[in-house]
Amino acid sequence: MTDVPHSRVDAEGMTADTAFRVRMRRLFGVLQGLASNPATVIGLVIIALMLAMAIFAPWILEPNSPDPYQMPRDWGAVRKPPGTPGHLLGTTNEGGDVLYGVIWGSRTSLQLSLMVVGSTMIVGTIIGSVAGLVGGWVDEVLMRIVDVFLSIPELIFALAIAAVLGPSFGNIIFALAVVLWVKYARIMRAQVLQIKQNDYVDAARVIGDSRVNIYLRDILPNAVTPVTVQATLDMGNVVLIGATLSFIGLSEAGIAEWGVLVSEGQAGIASGRWWASTFPGLMIFLWALSFNLVGDGLRDALDPRTEGR
Amino acid sequence: MLDAKHGGATVASVRDLKVHFQSKRGVVHAVDGVSFDIRDGETLGLVGETGCGKSVTGRSFLRLLPVPPGILAGGSVMFNAHAVCTSCEGTGCETCEGTGRKASQDRSVNLLGIPSEDMRRIRGDRIAMIFQDPGKALNPTLPVGAQIAEVFLQHRTDELIALAGLPADTVGAVRRFASQSPRFGDGWLLSLPGVRAQRRRVEEALATMVAGALAETQVPNPAKLMARYPHELSGGMRQRVMIAQALACNPDLLIADEPTTALDVTVEARILELIRNLQQRRKTSVLYISHDLSLVRRISDRVAVMYAGRIVEIGTTAEVFANPRHPYTRGLMAAVPGADTPRGKLAAIRGTVPELVDPAAACRFCGRCPYETGACRNNDPFLEAITPSHLVACFIDHPAPSGERPSYDRATA
Amino acid sequence: MQLRDYILRRLMVLPVLIIGVSIVVFTLTRVGGSPIGIYLSHEMTPDEVAEIEARFNLDKPVWVQYLYWIRGIAMGDFGWSGVAAAPVADVFPLKLAATMELALASGLVALLLGIALGTYAGARRNRLPDHVTRIVAVSGASLPQFWFGILLLIIFWAQIGIAPIGRSDATIFASIAHPTGLYTVDAILAGSPAAFWDAIWHLVLPSVTLGYGATAIIARMMRSALVEELQQDYVDAARAKGLAERIVLKRHARRNALVPTVTVIGLTFGFLLQGTITVEIIFRWPGLGRWMADSVLRGDQATLMTYVLFTSVLFLVVNLIVDLVYANLDRRVTLGK
Repeated sequence: MTDVPHSRVDAEGMTADTAFRVRMRRLFGVLQGLASNPATVIGLVIIALMLAMAIFAPWILEPNSPDPYQMPRDWGAVRKPPGTPGHLLGTTNEGGDVLYGVIWGSRTSLQLSLMVVGSTMIVGTIIGSVAGLVGGWVDEVLMRIVDVFLSIPELIFALAIAAVLGPSFGNIIFALAVVLWVKYARIMRAQVLQIKQNDYVDAARVIGDSRVNIYLRDILPNAVTPVTVQATLDMGNVVLIGATLSFIGLSEAGIAEWGVLVSEGQAGIASGRWWASTFPGLMIFLWALSFNLVGDGLRDALDPRTEGR
Repeated sequence: MLDAKHGGATVASVRDLKVHFQSKRGVVHAVDGVSFDIRDGETLGLVGETGCGKSVTGRSFLRLLPVPPGILAGGSVMFNAHAVCTSCEGTGCETCEGTGRKASQDRSVNLLGIPSEDMRRIRGDRIAMIFQDPGKALNPTLPVGAQIAEVFLQHRTDELIALAGLPADTVGAVRRFASQSPRFGDGWLLSLPGVRAQRRRVEEALATMVAGALAETQVPNPAKLMARYPHELSGGMRQRVMIAQALACNPDLLIADEPTTALDVTVEARILELIRNLQQRRKTSVLYISHDLSLVRRISDRVAVMYAGRIVEIGTTAEVFANPRHPYTRGLMAAVPGADTPRGKLAAIRGTVPELVDPAAACRFCGRCPYETGACRNNDPFLEAITPSHLVACFIDHPAPSGERPSYDRATA
Repeated sequence: MQLRDYILRRLMVLPVLIIGVSIVVFTLTRVGGSPIGIYLSHEMTPDEVAEIEARFNLDKPVWVQYLYWIRGIAMGDFGWSGVAAAPVADVFPLKLAATMELALASGLVALLLGIALGTYAGARRNRLPDHVTRIVAVSGASLPQFWFGILLLIIFWAQIGIAPIGRSDATIFASIAHPTGLYTVDAILAGSPAAFWDAIWHLVLPSVTLGYGATAIIARMMRSALVEELQQDYVDAARAKGLAERIVLKRHARRNALVPTVTVIGLTFGFLLQGTITVEIIFRWPGLGRWMADSVLRGDQATLMTYVLFTSVLFLVVNLIVDLVYANLDRRVTLGK
C-alpha cells in the first residue's frame, strides 16, 4: 500500500512538470472525494459560515471600545430574553449582549485555533523530523519526552500549565501549544521512518542527492497528508479544550469567548434564563463538529483503503 | 440434458447460472450462463485463470455471495440430496457402492430459490465447502475443536442427545444448548445442578464426535488438537481441520475452492491424497476448483474449463487432456511445463482476461485467440457435443451460422 | 518476540515514564510562584522568610529539592490543601471515591451501549441504524460536555424539575453509613433501597453527560472493527457451516471485533477522567474534578499537582493493562515494533 507519488528517479525519468501534474491530479481526486461525501460538505459549509462571521465581525456588530474582545456591558438591559430589540439573543446577568459574544467569540476561537495549530504543527514537525532523520540517542531522548507528555491527559496537563501561569486567554493558548505539539512529532517521525525505507529514497541517495534535498522533495510532501488530517481535527479540538479551560475559569472574566459565556450564563439557568449558555455552547459544538466532519472526510478521501467504511 | 445421459445419477445440475456484480463502471457479468452437471460420486475439476468466475460459481451452490454487490441474475442450481438407496434399503449394494445411500431425483431442490432457512440446513450438512486459505477461514479467537463442534450442534442435535444418553424428547435449555440456539438466561439455567450434569454429558458426546471427525483426517492426537487455536497450527494442520469440519456431517457434495493454493508443495500432495481418499471411501461428489491444470488432472474424473464467466470446454479428464479442442484449453496446456515440453518452448497466452462489463455477443476469447475469424467476433459460440461426453464452445468444431470456421491449420494472428 | 518479554519491557518503561511525569509536575510547581506562598504573609521579615525557605529546603540546589519533594510523596506527604483546609492526603480518598463512582458508572454504561450500538450499526452497514450511529459518534466527539450538561440541567432540572443536583439527598445521606464512599455500594451494604434509588437518581444526568462522548468513541471503534471482520473469510466459512446469521454475528464476527475495540478503552478512560472536571462543576458533584477546579482558581498548588501526578499515573497504568490485555487477546498481533 505504499503510496508512491512522483519520483525523479523513475525509470521513465519523470520531469518536474509531470510530477507537478501527477500531484495536481491527485489533489483533484481528493477534492472530488470530499465533495461526494455529504457530511464533509455540511462541515465545509459550517466552516465557511464561521469564517465569514469571524472576518466580517466588525461590520456585523460595532466593535466594543476600547477593547473589541471584551463584552460590552449594557447595565440598562440586564437579563433580557432573546428577541429584545438591540439584543437579538438576549443578555447575560451582567448585561452582556449574547449575540455580540457569539459573533466576536468566533474571532477569539479562530485566533486560538490558528495560533495553537500553527505553532504545534511547526514545532512538532521539526522535532519529529529531527528525531526520525538523525536517529540514535537524539531520537531516543526526544521520543521519551514525547512519551512523558502523552502520559498526562491533555486537558489536565493544559489546565495545570494555565493554572500555574495565571488566568488569561493568552496563557490558555500557550498551555495548549505546550501540550499538543507531541502529536505532530509522533506522526512526523513515523512518516520519516517509513519513507526512509522506501526504495526511491535509497535511489535518490545513490544518485548523490543531498540529505536536505531528499527531505524537502521526497519526505516532506509525503508527510503532508497525515499532518493535514491531524491539523484539521485539531482546529476543532483546540477550541473545544480551550473553551473548557475558559469555562473552568482560566480566561480573564468578561472576554468575548464562548466558554466564558457559557459559564457566565450558568448562574441564570435556575431562574429559567436558558439563552446565555445555550447559544455560545452551540457555537462551540458546531465549530468542533464541522472540523471533525471535514477531518474525517479528508482522511477517507486521502486514504483509498477506508473507502466506503 | 448436456451430459447427464452418460450414465449415473447427478447430485447437482447447474443451468444457465448468471451472477452479476455492480461496479462503478457498470454491471460485471462474472458468471454468464454457466451450465454443467455434477454426477454422483465424481470429482469435477473446474479450471480457469484468476477472475474467470470459478470461485463465484462454487460459492453459488451455498449462496455465499456478497449481497450487494453480488446479484444472482438468473439460472438455477438443482441439488439432489442423497436418500436411502432404493435397491438395498441402506444395507449397501452394488448400485450405491456399499454406502447405502444414493442421489435421488425426488428430493430435488433449486438452491437459488429455496428459503434461506432451508439453505442454512443444507449448508455444512449436505453441501460443505473448503476454503482457499485455512489461516483465514478459521476463526482466530476460537479453539479449532469448538469450530468443528458447531457443525454438529447445528445439524446433529438428535444424535448428540442420543450419544449423551439423554432421552430423545429432551427439551428446554439442554436441547437449546445442543442445537446452539441459546436464549437469554440459558447460561444461568445450565448452571443449575441437575442441568449442569446433562450439559456436561452433551459436551462429552460432542468432544467424542469432534475427535472422531478429526481422526478421519489422520491427525496425530485429535483430542489434544481440539483445544488448540488456529494460529498454533501449521498450514497443513489447519487445512486438515477445515476438511474435518467440512466432512463432519458426511455431505453429498463438497466444494473445494483451491484448497491447496496457500500450502507448500509437499503439504499439498498429502492434502490432495487425503481429499481423494475420503472422497472415494464416502462416495462424496466433489467440485474441485483450481487454476492448476496438472493438479486437476490428477484428482478429477471430469474437467470443466472456464473462461471469462463461461464454460468453454467440458469432458472426461482423459478426453480433454488427450484431445483439447478449445484454443483456450490448448493455450492453458501449453503454458504448463510437462515432461515432454522442450526447453524454452513454454508458451503463455497473450493478453489478459477481458473485463466483463456488458459483454458483446461474440466469443469471449476474441483478441487472445490465434485462430479467430470474423465469425468469432459476430457470433457467440455455445457448448456443443463432439463426443457424447465431450463438449466444446468453439466454431472450430461447429461452424458459425455463416458457415465460416477457424482452423488449427492457419493461425490468423 | 514473546509475550513475556513484551510485558517485562513495558513494566520496565513504566517507572521511567512516571519519573518523567514527576519531573514535569515538579517543574510546574517551581515555575508558578513560590511553592511556600501559602505560608508567607506581608508582615514577615526577610529572616523569617529565609527560615521557612530553609525548613522546606528551598535554599538547596533544584535537584536536591526535587529529591526532597519525591521523598515527601513517597511517604504520603502531598502538601496542604488551602481549599479543603486539610492535608491533601486526608481529603483525596473521599473525593476520589465520588469521582470514581461517577466515572465507573458512565464508563460501564458507555461500554455496554457502545458495543451494542457499534454492533448494531456495523451489521447494518449503510442503512439507517448505521447513519444514526455515525451521527452519534461524530457529535459525541464534538460536544462540549459542560454545555451538554447545562442543556440537560435546563431541561430536566430548571424546566421540568424532575432531576436532582448534587450527589445525594441530605436526610438520606445522614440515614446510612458510608464506609466505601461509593454511595450506591454503601446503600447496598446498608440494605437501604431508598438510599440506593437516591444514589442512582443523582447519578443519572451526570453519567449521561459524561457517558455520551465515551459511548461515541466505543461505538465508532466497534462499528469499524465489525465491518472489517464481516469481510473476513472465516465469516463466510461460518455461514458455510450452516450457522444462523445471529450466531455468525455474535460468536464469530463480534468476538473478533471486540479485540481491536479493547484498544480504545484506555482512550475512553482518559476521556472520562478529564470529563469529570466540568461535569462535577455543573452538577455540584463533590469529587476530585470540582476540588481541582476550585484549587486552580484559588492557587492551591499542592492539590493541583497531586491531582496531575495521580491522574497521569492512573492513566499510565490503565493503558498498560489495556495493552497487555490486548496483546494477550489478539495472538495475531505482532508484538514490539
